[in-house]
Amino acid sequence: MAFLLTRFPKGTAANAGLASCSICGTLSSANEQTCRRCGNQLEFRTKNSVQKTLALVATAIIFYIPANLLPIMTTTLLGNASPATILGGVVIFIEHGSYFIALVIFSASVLIPLAKMAVIIKLCIAVNSSKKLNHRELTSMYRLVEFVGKWSMIDVFVVSILVALVQLSGLMTIQPGIAISAFACVVVLTMVAAHQFDVRLIWDKEGNQ
Amino acid sequence: MNSHLSQSHLIACHECDQLLYFVPSTDARQTAHCPRCDHAIQAGVSNSLDQVVALCITALIVLVIANYFNFLGFDAKGQERSINLLNASYELYLQGYPVLSVLIFTFIVAIPFLYMSCLLLICLPVKLGIRWRPSLWVGRLCSAMLPWAMSEVFLVGVLVALIKMASLATIIFGVSFWAYILFSILFLRVEHIVDSHRLWGWIDDQSHFSV
Repeated sequence: MAFLLTRFPKGTAANAGLASCSICGTLSSANEQTCRRCGNQLEFRTKNSVQKTLALVATAIIFYIPANLLPIMTTTLLGNASPATILGGVVIFIEHGSYFIALVIFSASVLIPLAKMAVIIKLCIAVNSSKKLNHRELTSMYRLVEFVGKWSMIDVFVVSILVALVQLSGLMTIQPGIAISAFACVVVLTMVAAHQFDVRLIWDKEGNQ
Repeated sequence: MNSHLSQSHLIACHECDQLLYFVPSTDARQTAHCPRCDHAIQAGVSNSLDQVVALCITALIVLVIANYFNFLGFDAKGQERSINLLNASYELYLQGYPVLSVLIFTFIVAIPFLYMSCLLLICLPVKLGIRWRPSLWVGRLCSAMLPWAMSEVFLVGVLVALIKMASLATIIFGVSFWAYILFSILFLRVEHIVDSHRLWGWIDDQSHFSV
């Protein structure tokens, strides 16, 4: 933990030479390696936080392409198979007049993952830019991303319930499509990416402006 | 008031690293916020230990019920099918998606169950005054598992799926369905009460660690 302590703003634990444990929150002095309360590895800030976050988001973006292009599930009605993509499902709801459900699905599976990845990238850029930051706004954006994280799993759960429930051989069956795996990967990767991003980096820039 | 102040200790805000004197709050109308970044440090809760023990025991019983009975039934033109909670993940395994199946099982059953069990393992000895200290990894496991418990997300997914199905068939709600809704509510309440300060405070009570 060989850091120059004065690069952290006054009043922070790091500036006082104290590292707070990421698991139990105990403060330890800079020369200790592990937390004396829970045994966790001590760091002032998550190591290579921005690089890890960007790598995970890049992977998520790659998975996002097949998640949208390939069928998420295939409905077989009396022997006629009709595969559906995520957007196809939204269109069906709109055609049936269920605008609210269409909106829920569209937000949870298209809008939120995209917005989430965009926000995480924006945060990574902001931390490295020399411009003046709006700390509070960036922090609330981060909190929103953290909060919204697991809600994108809705679509995966919808498919899993439909697949489990609709298995009436001969009449109607629903099979999962490969896109659902890709989509689950996107959700998990963005959740880990948001977790890897160290918000304290935003506030560390306060003193240097 | 004095007893409160004596419990105060120095902490760093988890989101901006500001050093603070933190006083544990027991007033349900108050939430402790960081003055610098407004991070909600701790929700004020009275009798947090009693509440957590009671909620955990109830939630574990309810979760067992939710896994034992029928979750949902489905009746389309005389053809019936009913599933239990485990089918929601097991059917994906049968259809050739083993990894996804395990992932869903982990998110909706295994992690909520393990989280509640670990929490009870920490809280119950403290509550009963038994000198038994769970190993540190129980506490670390609790912190690691929390973001991956998705019972409430699963329920919203079920509702969306049901709206898709409603026009095709008659839906029958099983005992498990209601039990799982109850479990989600209990889980959200526990999630509201337990934060890392309270959790590690209870672990400290057993290990004579003082901050």
